[in-house]
Amino acid sequence: MTKERGYRFSRALLGALVGGIIIAIPWISSKYFMMMSIRLMYFGMLTMSLTYLAGELGAVSLMQAAFFGISGYSVALLQSRYGLPFPIPPLAGLVIAVLAAGLFGLLVVRVRGIYFLMLTLVLGQLVWALANQWSSITRGDTGIMNIYAPTVFGISTETSKTAFYFFQLIFFCGAASFVAALKRSPFGLMLRGVRDSESRMAMLGFRVHLLRYAAFVFASLVAALGGVFFTYFTGLINPHSVSLTANVEALLAAILGGINSLLGAIVGTAILKTLDVVLSGITERYMLIMGVLFMLVIMFARQGIVGTLMKYWNNRLFTSGNRDPERRPAGFSKKPDVVGNP
Amino acid sequence: MARKRIIQLMVAFFVLAWAFAPAHGVSEIRIGLIGPYTGWATIFGQNVLDGVKLALSQKDYKFKGTPIKIFVEDTKADVEVMRTKLDSLKNRDKVHLIIGPSLGHEGMAAVDWAARNPEVPILVGYSAPEDMTMRKATYSLVRPGWTGAQVIFNFGKFCAKDLGYKKIIIVGQDYAYPWDQAAGFIRGFLENGGEKVERIWHPVEEVDLSSIMAKLAGMSKEYDAVLCNSGGAQVVAFFKQWHQFGLDKLYPQILGQANVPITPMLAEMGDMLLGVYSSLHYYDGNPSQANVKFREGYNKAYGHYPSVMSVQGYDAVNVAFKAMEAIDGKVDDPKAFIAAIRNVKMTADESPRGPFYFDKFGNPVQNVYIKKVVKQDGRLMNIAVKTYKDVSQFGPYADMPDKYMAAPATTRDYPPGDKASYFKEIEKYFGKDYVDKLEKNKGWPD
Amino acid sequence: MSVLILMSLLNGLTLGALLFITASGLTLSFSLMRVVNLTYGAFYMAGGFIGLSVLKFSGSWLLAVFAGGAVMSALAFIEERFLLRWARGNDLIETLISLSVAIIVGDLVLVIWGGHPRTLSIPEALNGAVSIPLLNTIYPVYRIFTVVLALGIIGALWLFLEKTRLGVTIRAGVDNFEMVSALGINVRRLFSFVFTLSGFLAGVSGVVGGTFLMLVVGEDWRILTLTLIVIIIGGMGSLGGTIVGSLITGLIHSFSTAFIPEFSLFVLFLPVAIILSIRPRGLFGRQR
Repeated sequence: MTKERGYRFSRALLGALVGGIIIAIPWISSKYFMMMSIRLMYFGMLTMSLTYLAGELGAVSLMQAAFFGISGYSVALLQSRYGLPFPIPPLAGLVIAVLAAGLFGLLVVRVRGIYFLMLTLVLGQLVWALANQWSSITRGDTGIMNIYAPTVFGISTETSKTAFYFFQLIFFCGAASFVAALKRSPFGLMLRGVRDSESRMAMLGFRVHLLRYAAFVFASLVAALGGVFFTYFTGLINPHSVSLTANVEALLAAILGGINSLLGAIVGTAILKTLDVVLSGITERYMLIMGVLFMLVIMFARQGIVGTLMKYWNNRLFTSGNRDPERRPAGFSKKPDVVGNP
Repeated sequence: MARKRIIQLMVAFFVLAWAFAPAHGVSEIRIGLIGPYTGWATIFGQNVLDGVKLALSQKDYKFKGTPIKIFVEDTKADVEVMRTKLDSLKNRDKVHLIIGPSLGHEGMAAVDWAARNPEVPILVGYSAPEDMTMRKATYSLVRPGWTGAQVIFNFGKFCAKDLGYKKIIIVGQDYAYPWDQAAGFIRGFLENGGEKVERIWHPVEEVDLSSIMAKLAGMSKEYDAVLCNSGGAQVVAFFKQWHQFGLDKLYPQILGQANVPITPMLAEMGDMLLGVYSSLHYYDGNPSQANVKFREGYNKAYGHYPSVMSVQGYDAVNVAFKAMEAIDGKVDDPKAFIAAIRNVKMTADESPRGPFYFDKFGNPVQNVYIKKVVKQDGRLMNIAVKTYKDVSQFGPYADMPDKYMAAPATTRDYPPGDKASYFKEIEKYFGKDYVDKLEKNKGWPD
Repeated sequence: MSVLILMSLLNGLTLGALLFITASGLTLSFSLMRVVNLTYGAFYMAGGFIGLSVLKFSGSWLLAVFAGGAVMSALAFIEERFLLRWARGNDLIETLISLSVAIIVGDLVLVIWGGHPRTLSIPEALNGAVSIPLLNTIYPVYRIFTVVLALGIIGALWLFLEKTRLGVTIRAGVDNFEMVSALGINVRRLFSFVFTLSGFLAGVSGVVGGTFLMLVVGEDWRILTLTLIVIIIGGMGSLGGTIVGSLITGLIHSFSTAFIPEFSLFVLFLPVAIILSIRPRGLFGRQR
């Protein structure tokens, strides 16, 4: 057996094992662990949306939670206020979120780097202000309550958490494969070309703005999907879901896990949400610890936990192993990102 | 002989052990505490928590010898986190009772959770939305606190009847809690002879109120007084700019909603608040022995005097203890525990706020005090200028709660603020008889 | 009604002055270093609280202003010297580091000063109100003072940037960074200096703003958002742009609070969207 085949085999085995465990969770784990897994999936989709943008555009967005919240609010309103039957609210929610992303995208695709971060921060706050102040629709600070998860194929996902788990798992895996496929597609390759040298791509005749715009909308769709499940599972939505804190937490998760990889998004979210539960019983200085952790990771393990482990794995164990192009640590562009790439 | 002796000893031992052993099934009583303990809303959670801890330490963290263990969980003022923490307390820590939460939106989310998890009793901390114990009321959730409107109905009446005002402006933060306060005030004010209430709403976090001050200055000829309907930072901002823009010279009196002249505010703002009228179910100057014990104990433990938030944490524990007395400590039977909690009647010797008991929705029927800020021994204090006894959350509508709940929910402009359209509304929801009675009595009976 | 319009104009002007004082430091560091210092709001808040403690202790407001500025400039120096310099050249990483510092400082303020809203009392000399006979009304002296202070800071910054050697170097650095380093000027030290000065302005504006309005935990993010709006509208990193941005933001804010208070927060964000869709680099931003 060659090294290469051994690697493939061990990878397949590992994949099957992880898959088996994920499917078995409702039966082998406690109720509590399953609840945490459900939370991990919807926040994971939010983080994934952020890491996708960071990896493919080289831009850190502080407004992904806005799309998460827009779809959430749409589901809440369409269901609790207008009483529309099941498949309509989530579908309409996704469409509305995509339309919003299309609108905001017009503004943000033209700026790069820190300008992108700054602008998304302000636009994210705009959505928050709207959720907070447009109280005839959003019920302001209190938010919308009494949302119940739907009945799918005759099984109520509201009463059965196991059903909800699988319902979400299907879409979560769908979203993850969607992002992975996007990265591997010709579109993804073009996008990375843009990230690495925009002027070259423009010169080669690619419509750079359009590529970036499409990436922004795709990322928002993933976040919006997370928002749908968030609203269904918690049964409520309020402006906190679209606040700056929510955005910063998503960024925190992305950076902890590793901003360049899909797995990093999930691992980072898992770490953050676990720490959240563990620390709050011990200390009231949660934010302080998070801040310090954030700083240490960004300074000393810029690829995040997954990125750093991957590097170690690739370098030490499989020096000859195949390296997927998307695993190549990139994300944060090496060059200072100046407006419009002079 | 020796054998008989041993048997006797053994019997005696078991009898004694049985007599002194805890008379109930649980080896420890687990109480979950939930609220915002980090972030911007820390004070709301922390003050309730301090009250809870004070009450527990006065009881030595024991109920008839059974140790009490507390589990503190932070919500970060985020309802999604709160739901998770509530699940943690229920499934992981298996608590017998939850005390909290403390913010309005948290409270509403807690009701939602309680309806889905009816086997855990919840005693609400400081959350005040009325729907928690009205339209959305659920059996397992009891609030040893208050609702926004409950404490202010009679303040409206007081302003109309005792102070003789006809037109009032309410300036407040634009969210559900101040809306409820404004609504309660309007009902009391307009039904007792007031003519008009104008509402000005500003964003929750707005602190530059200069434009509103300019507007108020222009309205001073027409209106009698201004009611500051905000909490926290906005109160500081409001009173600071009120004085800067010289409005204290244009209006004879400033009124405040329940949260305005609470203890921490008095400490921070000093004489600016002197003379402010407001209403609440607790006043810090209450000379009752229960209040003195509470205040001095609190000051000794934490180095400063408590606010009403701590009173509610303190009362929550005492309510729980009285309920545990009734069921002999069998907290592992949630059904009996909840029923016992709902039956608790607190006396003036037991609660710093005065006597109270719960209505069938789980909200207290209690005294409401009209307070005035005065200087006593060099310190600012609220004294009670008038006491309204046994006020329910439905205020004067206690005998027709269904009609009250059938009326539309309060919004930023509901109920209407001018007398004519307001009376049209109450005729629609409370009936012609009610309006006739009001006109005959010239307001609510005393 | 016209009185209300004139008063709103005046209020917008004075609020704009406060916003300028606040945003000036951020603009300064941003224009040279291309770092969005997300710690800025936290510096504002911490500076204000330090001023509060100094004022309570010494009774001197002037001392409070300088103490707030001095402590924050020290903190800014440390942040630049030991954290940001570490990632120099990668502006995104620098920005993210500043975000982590903001989270830490924000929580430390909560530990030290607690979560209750506080306010600094206005110094005796600036307390009270002047009457405006034209409008038949009075206006607080302190608000007028902020306009004077803002004009003072504009003048000082202008003199500094245009007339001193250091200022000329900084401007040259903004325009052509490589050239300045090639000329053998110690750019590292220049960066440290500018960042420290920016921290000083943040601390001062915290004390001035805390006296103007109030201080409370959470203020850091509110102030940061406001100053970012100012900078984005005005064109990122130009002094003139910041002046115009502050005025626009202040006026929109005061008029919307007076006439449509329910939507004032929302309206505040609208010009950002409008201006950016017309001029992506802001009103005075240079198109490179």
